[in-house]
This record gives sequence, C-alpha cells and structure tokens, in this order.
Amino acid sequence: MASRKKSLLKVIILGDSSVGKTSLMNQYVNKRFSNQYKATIGADFCTKEVVVNDRVVTMQIWDTAGQERFQSLGVAFYRGADCCVLVYDVTAPNSFKNLDSWRDEFLIQASPRDPEHFPFVVLGNKVDLDNRQVSTRRAQQWCQSKNDIPYYETSAKEGINVELAFQTIAKNALEQEAEADVVNDFPDQIILNSQNNRPGNPDNCQC
Amino acid sequence: MVQTTADTMDFKERLIASVKKEVKQLMEEAVTKKYVHEESSSVTSLCGAVEACLSQGLRRRALGLFKTSSTTALLHKIAKSCPEAEHISKLVQEIEASDPSKRSSSSSDSFQRPPMLKKSSSHSMSGSQQVAASSSSASVSVSASASASVSVSVSASNSSMSLASLKYLWIRLALYEKRLTKIIEYLVSNASSFYERDSLVADPDYGSILSSLLVGPCALEFTRAKTADHYWTDPHADELVQRHRISSCRRSSSTCSRPAIINFKRSLNTSSDEASSGSFKSIASASVAKDYVESLHQNAKATLLYGKNNVQVLPKNVAEPMPGYLSLHQHIQTLTIKWTPNQLMNGYNEAEEEDIDKDAFWAYALNINVDEIVYVHCHQSRGEDSGGTVILVGQDGVQRPPIHFPEGGHMQQFLSCLETGLLPHGQLDPPLWSQRGIGKMFLWPRSMRRRILPSVMESVDETPIDYVFRIVSKSRHEEFAATHSILDFVRSTPRRAQLSSCSTTGSSDCSNKSLSIDQFPLESPLLLHHQQQMLQQSTSIEMVCSTMRRQIISRAFYGWLAYCRHLSTVRTHLSGLVHGRITPEMKADEEGLTRERWELLNVDGVLENATEFYRLVYFGGVQPEMRQEVWPYLLGHYAFGSTPEERKKQDETCKHYYETTMSEWLAVDAIVQQREKEKTARAVAKLSSGSNSGNERTVRAVDLDLGGGELENEVFEDISDISDPGDLEFDEQQQQEGGGGAGGAGGAGGLVTSLSGMHLSVKPIPRSMKTSTDSGHVDEGESFNELDEDLDQEQDREREREKQAKPEEQGTPPNPEPSCSTSTASSYETVGMGGAQTTTRSVLSPEYLSADELQLPEDEEASAASGAAKPHQQAASVIITKASVDIANWERGPRASGGQGDHQMSPLEESPGETAGGAGPGSNLDALQEPKSACASPASSNGGVYSSELLEQFGLNLHRIEKDVQRCDRNYWYFANENLDKLRNVISTYVWEHLDVGYMQGMCDLVAPLLVIFDDESLSYSCFCKLMERMIENFPSGGAMDMHFANMRSLIQILDSEMYDLMDSNGDYTHFYFCYRWFLLDFKRELVYDDVFATWEVIWAAKHIASGHFVLFLALALLETYRDIILSNSMDFTDVIKFFNEMAERHNAQAVLQLARSLVLQLQMIIENK
Repeated sequence: MASRKKSLLKVIILGDSSVGKTSLMNQYVNKRFSNQYKATIGADFCTKEVVVNDRVVTMQIWDTAGQERFQSLGVAFYRGADCCVLVYDVTAPNSFKNLDSWRDEFLIQASPRDPEHFPFVVLGNKVDLDNRQVSTRRAQQWCQSKNDIPYYETSAKEGINVELAFQTIAKNALEQEAEADVVNDFPDQIILNSQNNRPGNPDNCQC
Repeated sequence: MVQTTADTMDFKERLIASVKKEVKQLMEEAVTKKYVHEESSSVTSLCGAVEACLSQGLRRRALGLFKTSSTTALLHKIAKSCPEAEHISKLVQEIEASDPSKRSSSSSDSFQRPPMLKKSSSHSMSGSQQVAASSSSASVSVSASASASVSVSVSASNSSMSLASLKYLWIRLALYEKRLTKIIEYLVSNASSFYERDSLVADPDYGSILSSLLVGPCALEFTRAKTADHYWTDPHADELVQRHRISSCRRSSSTCSRPAIINFKRSLNTSSDEASSGSFKSIASASVAKDYVESLHQNAKATLLYGKNNVQVLPKNVAEPMPGYLSLHQHIQTLTIKWTPNQLMNGYNEAEEEDIDKDAFWAYALNINVDEIVYVHCHQSRGEDSGGTVILVGQDGVQRPPIHFPEGGHMQQFLSCLETGLLPHGQLDPPLWSQRGIGKMFLWPRSMRRRILPSVMESVDETPIDYVFRIVSKSRHEEFAATHSILDFVRSTPRRAQLSSCSTTGSSDCSNKSLSIDQFPLESPLLLHHQQQMLQQSTSIEMVCSTMRRQIISRAFYGWLAYCRHLSTVRTHLSGLVHGRITPEMKADEEGLTRERWELLNVDGVLENATEFYRLVYFGGVQPEMRQEVWPYLLGHYAFGSTPEERKKQDETCKHYYETTMSEWLAVDAIVQQREKEKTARAVAKLSSGSNSGNERTVRAVDLDLGGGELENEVFEDISDISDPGDLEFDEQQQQEGGGGAGGAGGAGGLVTSLSGMHLSVKPIPRSMKTSTDSGHVDEGESFNELDEDLDQEQDREREREKQAKPEEQGTPPNPEPSCSTSTASSYETVGMGGAQTTTRSVLSPEYLSADELQLPEDEEASAASGAAKPHQQAASVIITKASVDIANWERGPRASGGQGDHQMSPLEESPGETAGGAGPGSNLDALQEPKSACASPASSNGGVYSSELLEQFGLNLHRIEKDVQRCDRNYWYFANENLDKLRNVISTYVWEHLDVGYMQGMCDLVAPLLVIFDDESLSYSCFCKLMERMIENFPSGGAMDMHFANMRSLIQILDSEMYDLMDSNGDYTHFYFCYRWFLLDFKRELVYDDVFATWEVIWAAKHIASGHFVLFLALALLETYRDIILSNSMDFTDVIKFFNEMAERHNAQAVLQLARSLVLQLQMIIENK
C-alpha cells in the first residue's frame, strides 16, 4: 500500500516591510482585506486546504516580519519550506531591489537541497494603486534571470490574482515536495511532472 | 473481458481491503482529532470504497427496467422493506428535490464515466497495488460497471470540495445517521435478490465483513461545525480553551489548576508522565472532571479498551436512567471504567450559559477504578434481548449505579474487554471462558467479533440470566503496600523518616519490579489486609519486613539525593533570576497604589519611600487615572526624593531638548522627502518613458516627464522663470496654484522650484541649479554633477560636517540654540493664522535671507572653523539646507505644534503638494522674517549640511517609521486621529538620537502605550528612552533575546519537566521562538491596552521588588495557564505559535500576573529552601 504522503506544504512569504505580506496571506486564506494589520512581529501562519493535482493538501503559509534585521529569527521558520513567495510593492522600487537579498537570505537560511531549483514565486503587490513605479517588464526580466521564477501582479486589497498566484505556489511546492521524496510509489509520475513543468514555467508568468 | 473466479476473489479481497484501510483512517482521525468533519476527505474516501463494494456485482434487472444500476437506485428499491433504508431514501430525495442540480453523483457515476477512463482504469487493474494506493489521499471515486467485468477507476473529476460532499450522497447520509450498517446488513441478508451470485455482497464472508467493518464509523459523531476551509486544520485556540474550560473544573476557568511548583515537586517523585494520573488524592479529585473528557480518548497515558455510547446509567437521586458514554481505559497498572452523561459529551459546541447546568451532570459521571471493585454482577432479562445490566460492587460492599447496556451483545463485549484488561495482574473469577453454562453467550464476542450478525444474537435467548464475577487481583497488594509506605516516607521530611511505617505494611516478597511511587491512589490498610487474606501466601513476615525496610530506606535515600541535586540545579541556574530577599505580600485590605496611598507617600510632593512604592505597584498595580503621575517614577524619569520644582525644571529641560532634537531631524526629514519626491518623479518618468534611463541627468527631461501631464510644463516654466529674478513673485503664486491643485508631482516640482530659486540668487546659472540641488542633498551613488565646482562643494560639505559634529556631540547645542528653538516654536504658532495674505512677503523672503542676513552667522562660523572655505560656495550649501528646513517647517510645522498644545494640526493624509503649495510656505517664511532672523532656522545653527550617508540612513529609517506608524494600533481610539503623528515624532526623535541602532519594528508598539498614558510627546520620549535602556537589548542588535530563551529553557526544564519533554520531543521547540514577540514588546501585542498598562507597571516595579527578569515569569505563567491544553493536545511548534497568536489580546491578564508573581515567590522559596 502506498504510504500516505505528507500532505502539508510549507510556504514562506518574504519581502520588505509593508509590501503586503500579511494582507496577501489573509486575502488568500480568509478572502478578506483589512487595513488594520499591524507590522508583523515574529511570525504567524495560516493554513488552508487546497486541491492540487487532485490531491488535497494543507498549505501552511508563514507570514514573517519584513524588516531585514529580524532575519536572524528566520532559521526556525524557514526550515522545511516547500516554496518561498517573494513579495514586493510595485509602488516601492526599493522593495523590488531587495528581492535579491531576500532570495539569497532565504537560500542561505533554509538551505534547501537543491537551491537552483527551489521554487520561488514573485508577487508584485498593490497593483490597485496608481502610482506604480516598477514596471512589469523589469520584474519579469528579473524573474527570468533567476531561473524563470513565476511572476504575478497582485492586489491583496482587490483580490486580484491572489488565488491564481497561490494555486501556482501550491503546485510548485507540491512538485518540490514530490522531488524531495526519494522513495516514491510512482517514479514515472515524477519524471512526467518535472518534464511537464520546467518548460511550463514561463507560461506561468503571463501577466 | 472475462474474469476468472480467482480474479474475482482477488478483486473482492482488494475492495474489502480498501474499505478496511479507509475505516482505519477515519477512526484514527476520529481518535486523534476528537471529531470528524462531515466533509473530511477520509469520509469521502470511505464512502467511495463502500460504494465500490456495493456496486460490484449489482444486478441491473433487480432494480426495474428503467432504473439505473446505481446504488442509489438500490437504496430506493429496498426502502420499501427496510426501515433504515426508507429513512435515508427520504433524506436523499429531500436533498435532491431541494436542489435539482445537486443530484447524487453516485447515481450518475456509472453512466457519465468516459470510455477513455474505463480503458485506462482496467489497464491499471493489472498493477495489483494500484487500487488501494491511488485511493490513499485524494478523494477517490471508485465506480464499478454493471457487467461482470469490473473495473475500478480513479476519477479525477473531483476538484472542488463542495462537489466532494455530494458524492455518495446516500452513503454519506447513512453514515451520518448511523444507519449504514443496518442497511448493508439488510442488503447482505437479501443479497440473492439484488446481487449476482459471485458479487461481494452476496459472498457469505465478505458481505458480513463489510457490514461489521462499518460498525465503527457508524458510531462516530460527525460535525459540520467548521467551515470547509478549516475542517482539516486544527481547532481554533478559542475552541481549545473552551473545550478545556468545560473539561476542567469550571470555577478555575482557564487558569492552571496546578501551578508549576507542584510539577516541580512531582518531578522529584516520578520519572514518568504517568504522574498526572495522580498520586496525591487532592490533585486527582481536582482533575477528575477534566479526566472525564480528556481521557475518554485514546491517548499516551491510557489505552482505550472499550467504548460504547448510549449506555444507560441510573445515578443516585435521578429518576430516569441517563444515556452516556461508557469506556474502559487501561493505564499502565490500573484499569478504569468511565461513564459520562451524553450532556457532557458534546459540550463544547454549546453556549457558555449552559455551563452551570452541566455542573449537575458532572456529579453523575462515573469514574471507577477497577481495583476498588470486587464483584461484577450481570443481569439479563430472559426471552427478549434487551441488552444487559452490569452492577459493580466495591470492596466496601457498596453498589455502584447499575450500567445498562443496549442490546447487541455489548455487555458481553464489555466483560470480555474487562477480562483482557485485567490481565496479567488480575482476572475474572470464574473466567469467562470456563463458564460452561454461558459458554455460548460469552464465547461469541471472542470468536465472532469480526462478524457481528444480528441473527446470531437473536438466537441466544435461552441463556442463563444472572452471573456474578469476582475480580481477583494477583500481585496488586504488595505494590500498594510499598507504594503507600514510601509515599508517606517521601512526603515527610527525610530526616524524620518513620521506619516503623513499614512494619504495618505488606507481607510478600518485594522482589517484583521497580516501584513507581505515584501510580496508585492511596489505599486503605483495610484493603491490604483483605487482599492479603485472600492470597493466603505463606511467606515469613519477618523476612519481608526486613527486605521492605531496606528497600524503603534506600529509596528514601535516593529520593532525598535526587531532591538535593534538583535543588542545587535550581540554585545554580535559576537563582540569578529572582531576588534573594522576599518582599512580603500585600495585606488583604491593600489594593495597589490608590490615590490615598499615593498622597500618603507623597510628602509635600516628594516621593521618598521607593520600596513601599514599588511594593504597592508590584502587588496591586496603579489606579488607572494615576498612571500619568506615577509612571515617570516607575520608569526612572523622575528621581525619588525630587521636589515638584525640580521635576518641573526637568520636564522643561526635556521638552526643550526634545524640541531641539526634533527640529534637527525635521530638517533632514525635509531633505529626505524632497529627494524621495525627486526619485519618485524619476521613477515615474522612467516608467512612463519605458525605462529610458539616459535622460535622468538633465533637469529638463526629468521635469518634463513628471507625471506626463500639463502640470510638468507649468513647473518647468516655473523653474525657467525663476531664473529671471524679476518674476519671482508671480512664479511663486503660480507654483502655489499648481502645487495646491495637483498633489505629489506638483509638490515635488514646487520644492525644486523654491530651492532652485534660492540658489539662483547666489548663482543664477540654470544648469547648475539642478546640480547644486542634487548635491546639496544626496547623490545616491550616481553623480549628477558634471561641473567642476562639484569637488569644491564636496570639500565644503566635509568641513561643514566637522563643524556640525561638535554641537551634536555636546548634546545641548551652543548659544544660538535656545533662541532658535523658540523661534521655531513661534513659527509653528503662526501656522494657524499665517496664510495667503503673507504670500507676497514670504515669496521674497528667501531671497533676502539667503542673500543677506542669514549668510552672515554661517559665514562667520565657517571661517572661524575652517577659514579656507570659499564664501560663495559655503553660502550656497548652507542656504540649500536652510531652504529645506523651511520646507520641513511647512510640512512638519503643524505636527510639531501638536506637541506644544496647539491643536490645529493638519491631517497626516494631507498631500505634500498641498502643504507645500498652500498656506504653509507663506506662514513659515513669514516666521523666518521675524526679528530673530539671525538664527531663524534651527538647522543653520547646526551647520545644516548632512552627509549623504546620514541622509540615506535617516531617510530609510523615516520611511520605515512612517510605514509602521501608519499601521500601529489605528483601531485604538487614541490613535484614530492625528495622535499617530505624535507617535511618529517620538520615534523619529529617538531614532535620530540613536541612528547607530536605527528604527526597528516593534518600537512603535513600545511607544504607543506611553503616549496613550502621557499624551505628551516630550514626556513620552523621555520615558521611552528609559524604557529602551532595557528593551533595546531585546532587539536583534542586542543579546537579551537569546538570554531570555535560554532562561526560559532552564525554567521550564526545571519547573515543568513534563512540558519540557513535550517541547523537546514534539519537533523540538525548546528554542522558544514562539515567545519572541512576548519579550520583544513586553507582551504588548498579547494583551489589550488596559492590560498592557497593568502588566508593564508590574514589570517595572518587579525589577526592584522581586525579579529583574519578571518577563520570564510572565511568559512562564502564560504557558502554565494553558499548560493542560498544550499538553493534552500535544502541541508542536506550529500549534503553539498558532495558539498564542490566536489567543493574543484574550488572556486574563490579572490571572496571569498573579500566577507570575506566585511563580516568582515559589522559586524564591525553593532557593531559600523554606
């Protein structure tokens, strides 16, 4: 009999402070937007049940503090992550510039087995605001340069693309997990998946 | 495709196996989660498996000509003859009628299945493991075709959960209604009319196996209490707490009934967690109620041997027998029978008001230790099967309330489980097995357990009626004896050990296993004697006594040794955490620092008795309305023994200092804001022009691109016009119109304009205008300067920095400062009345100021300091800064005035452009023209030019502060209005003074309560500085957090080893990161504002009274408050984080504080060895 595989996906949301990490998480999990969130201290998480590839999995979404000073705390939270969501604010160029360091920091702290292919997803948040400063092209270029990270432009406030983005996150996390599973009952399935999805990744960033 | 009989058998085997697996899965879920949600995927899977079994070999014709072959049709068919099926059939029809779209999918499954799928699935059949494997996790629909060729297909159609809930509708409903077993039993017994001969249901073995497999799931309670989003996740913290509250003694509410120190004592006595089942009768009885609910499930401490719901018991003083849940639990060496009224079983869903009524039910609940039972009477009424009644008779001869089992052989099962549970130390006498007369009756639960057939049950009607069993305990008593004596022994002081006690005890050899002290409740010597007689052993009493004596002494010694070691551990690791001196607690009539006490302490406005003051605050808190007066003392802002005059003076100094500092950073803020705007403009320009970065350097391109509208042209015109000094007046007005009307971009333009305007007066070259503006601020790495003078300016700035560093180091700036700050103040004051009427004057003022007067002091200072600076360049740079300061005053002036009691504050949201372009500049520039213009600008006295690093750094900090202030407690009434600006000011001032540390998230939360209490910026600032002396170490730059974690580790490890074991084993979260926010913010986020106040003042006072690490004890108290919840749910790291995050702002702060104080006291006592 196939052993029941771990059905928990750990997703970490990173990004500068006030780019909307907490809002994105809550918009996705609770379908709510509130302008009452405080700056996250420490870490919090929400769980949500999702169906990915006909599998019901629990997504554990970790919301972290945005100030880079608090990264030292990260180790405890990043460990065992299946996917990392990098969020920036399209109205704040600095938050975009910092994506690099967030990504590096995550890879250092979480030290995944295969850093090259660890699934990241980039979200450009707050597209509902009109004083946009980071262009889609620039973001896409960056994502492409980093091993074709899927890129979405979201608005936690309006709920734009949030569901879609997190579906991708769940899917990629699941693949990461499947690849991490050394012993598997359906080895051919993995190959199929990985073939399907590596070239498929650019398709994900049609925004 | 023709299948052989062997294939069919194999397939049936696998169908049954998959049902088995799903049943197991579901039962596991029920046990571990204590409830199963109706839409849980395991329910779906089980239904799928059952459906597959039922549809295999289903005869199509039996259902009628036009009926489908689905099992739903089958259900409707048998509804005529089977009452259970009728009931379910009705429900199904009701649901389908209410929503036609929600047709039972199982009725259409076999038709809508695409042929492709069929092929692939029959192919997959060859892989033998495939069926069960694929049904493991995702919701699986197993369908079977009507023909003999059977295929199991994994349908991928189920993508949404709401759909899943409609699958197998009737099976689901039957399961929820607990009638599935009956229906299947009916089908099995009537298989011949509905099924092919070789079908699973018709099979003599598999059919009954199928129905008996479902007995368990049918006994479960399903809930739909939670939303679909949450059914899989763990219960919310609220629910956990409420559940716990119901299960524990109600009066103690959620607080810990056993403080940590009891654990400490216990950890001395026991090594296993079995301890919680209680050696101390008092504890045991206190937690009896809790055990009832908590222990009804299988858990680490006890194995659930038997469980049956709707067992009726007639408690004393009750007329009617009450249904309830009967369970038999095996602990390591004891066996417990528990019965809980139904009213208590599903308690946590109900409102709290009903809790009072439930108290009565707790009295009815039974918790019987089998050791206390001597006889088991069984009664059955002859002829009809009405279950059976069991009466337990204790050793004292008292009968326990009769337990009436429902029909269906449950009594027999119970007895058989009881017998199994008694082994190996006890047995039923006579054994169930050797009962010849009732052999048939008592045999079948063992041999037929897998196949419960009602027909068999019904046939047993001429069995004997009543039986009496005696429970014989083999080796119980000697352990009891030893336990008893050692218990006495250990509890008394080691030195006073009463060796005589052993002579009264036990008789037989004590060679059996190591004794565990608290596994048995204390037993009366009577029982020992009784049992001793029963065993009739002929061992020499003398020998036994000597063995006992030796063992007791050695155990006592080791116990004492362990105690000593433990004490030394405590002393080594924890003594630093509390003060050695124990301050006496408050008397009963004292209630903290009340107004009367405060006035008593305050002799002529001088507070002398610090100890008494701290003691009152520590034990009783401060009366809310007095906090404003008291907190400055607590925080060390006011010294004890200071006179009112001194304090007043101190306040004035503080205020002055605060304002001065603020004016400094406001200047920088202005520059930063300006830069920000330019940058924004550039970014926007870049974005709109398609990342055309080449144009960045030229003023024209940038300004033209500003927003891409008409406004830019206007601004641009402004700039070019300003280069013609004669038109200044007009330009300024125009600019105001533009800026006022058009928001951010216009504001930026306006600023550029005014700055360049001033610069122009010195050096009217349009090209350099932009250059100097940029270099006067920070050139962010990329240099815009192409002119020669750039270098010179750079040097100039260096010199300026040197100069300015001096006053900054001195803390209080030299002579120009005081007058300057007053002028600042006055300039703020004019904000309200200053308006458009002054525009003309003010427009001209920068010219005057920069060109003539203001230059002078700077010049003198500059030449005095460096001597070599070129006058004109110096003037240029100075003026630029000044201009920015002025701009700062336009924008920040209104806010600053808030600190001085002026309430005409502009809302924060006011667009910068408006401020810059509107009334602001006029009034401020007007202010600059006031008589004290010699040092009109605060920045001018400081030198006023800042290094690019400084600007960069502070700008970043300001940006962060702004973002966090905006988000800080905006739903709290105090911060609903402009008070957020005060918050921003206090933090910015602090950060300006501590730029090396910088702003860190969390500072807002620390300032906010102070500001709420004081409602005064400068006082809040001073107190915040005092507060931060301790708190800064908690931030990432300091090392206190790790120290806190380490101390927590020691505390928990030593004081509550059970909890520590859980933390250690359950994913190891002994790093205590879940306490991070607690320590970082002194529990500010964990509590509501009023509680934060109360907690903070106790923390501050505790430092002087009991412990400098009071936060540790608060954290410990918080953990201990929910100890039982954490333990009983064996939470891991994520559970704990989630729990406490969800519990934030709902703690009972006073209870936690009290517990924390008592924890401190208890630790002090241990260390003192009192």
